[in-house]
Amino acid sequence: MRLAGQPSLDALCGEYVVGTLRGAARRRFERALHDEPLVAQRLRHWQNNFMPRYAPMIETRPSPRVWKRLEKTLGLARPPWFRRGSWAIAATAVLVIVIGLQLARQEPDAVLIAELSGQAATVSAHLSRDGRTLVLHSDRPVIAGPSQSYELWLLTPEGDVLSLAVLGSLDTRFELPERHRSRLRGQLAVSIEPAGGAPGGKPTGPVILVGAIKV
Amino acid sequence: MLDDRVIKALLLRAAARDEGSAEAFRRLYELSAPLLLGVAQRVLARRELAEEVLHDAFARIWHAAASFDPLAAPPVAWMTAIVRNRAIDVRSSHDVSRVDSYHATLDEDPEGSLDRLFDWNPAADDGEDRRRTAQWLRECLARLGAPERQSLVLAYEHGLSHSELAQHLKKPLGTVKAWVRRGMASLRGCVEARMDGAAP
Repeated sequence: MRLAGQPSLDALCGEYVVGTLRGAARRRFERALHDEPLVAQRLRHWQNNFMPRYAPMIETRPSPRVWKRLEKTLGLARPPWFRRGSWAIAATAVLVIVIGLQLARQEPDAVLIAELSGQAATVSAHLSRDGRTLVLHSDRPVIAGPSQSYELWLLTPEGDVLSLAVLGSLDTRFELPERHRSRLRGQLAVSIEPAGGAPGGKPTGPVILVGAIKV
Repeated sequence: MLDDRVIKALLLRAAARDEGSAEAFRRLYELSAPLLLGVAQRVLARRELAEEVLHDAFARIWHAAASFDPLAAPPVAWMTAIVRNRAIDVRSSHDVSRVDSYHATLDEDPEGSLDRLFDWNPAADDGEDRRRTAQWLRECLARLGAPERQSLVLAYEHGLSHSELAQHLKKPLGTVKAWVRRGMASLRGCVEARMDGAAP
């Protein structure tokens, strides 16, 4: 049963924030939190406005044992977990080449115009020969969460910031807005925005990818 | 004082699972563990159990960092919820001896107890909205009836369940449940009325 829109939603958020929501009821609420963006949004309202900040007075320094154990539990200590995965990186590279080849087959006339990089992924942007279609390809699958979208921006050398597309995934193809086709110079950037894109037409969230357009 | 923006950046970095992730997570722990241990200790009253909870909660935070949605949840509140919920679960499965002197002062000095537990001073990075809301929340808490306020603070600070509250306050379960429900509803009504009044 969906929680969003139910009259009990506020009471549940309140009990969750206070901590009196227990057992199966709390698990149901947490599932809804995950599945229903409106529930998450309502809880955020509660957390932002009805949850006072704890005083620094309550802080207690944990014993060093706790971090040592965590390092062990999570495999954060040497050898670093990210070094152990070199075979995975190699496998990913092969996959990227395979997908890249397929993509090249699908888009025989597309030209690589930019490579956007950031922590999340590296994304290549190909423009079709006729200049109408942009194809984005990410080196790993990155999909926006239920309450967010990615937005692709064109940062022109003149200093304009133009929205090119609102995306659910970094692997996509779309038709470029006609009025922006002639202005494809400068940089491309992707930011995280609320679902449906930045409300005011200007980026509001963190920029996760950026890359220069090759002329 | 934990800065939500710093915590958010560290969480996202930890979630990226790249060369900087382990270091970001260590920094996240360094910054937030003392407060979160304080939160767990309020609920559990026993140091070793609280540290156990801190360990489990951070393991959970590491794994859940990838699904942390910065637009859906304020990061410090998100981490606090993980720690408190874990502490509450551990508390109900252990025989955590009742802290008898939860606070004798709460009844006589409700204002003092609100200021002892919570920080009402605006943080340097707080926007005007946040400052005003904190002030309204403080005023609205003070306006609640004493039993409602006491139930909310006890439940929030010590993670007491409805039945533990009933036992502690020596009142029927139904009465205590109503206090919590009414307390939260009045608090919401009071703060939202001030928000509406301030809206341009």
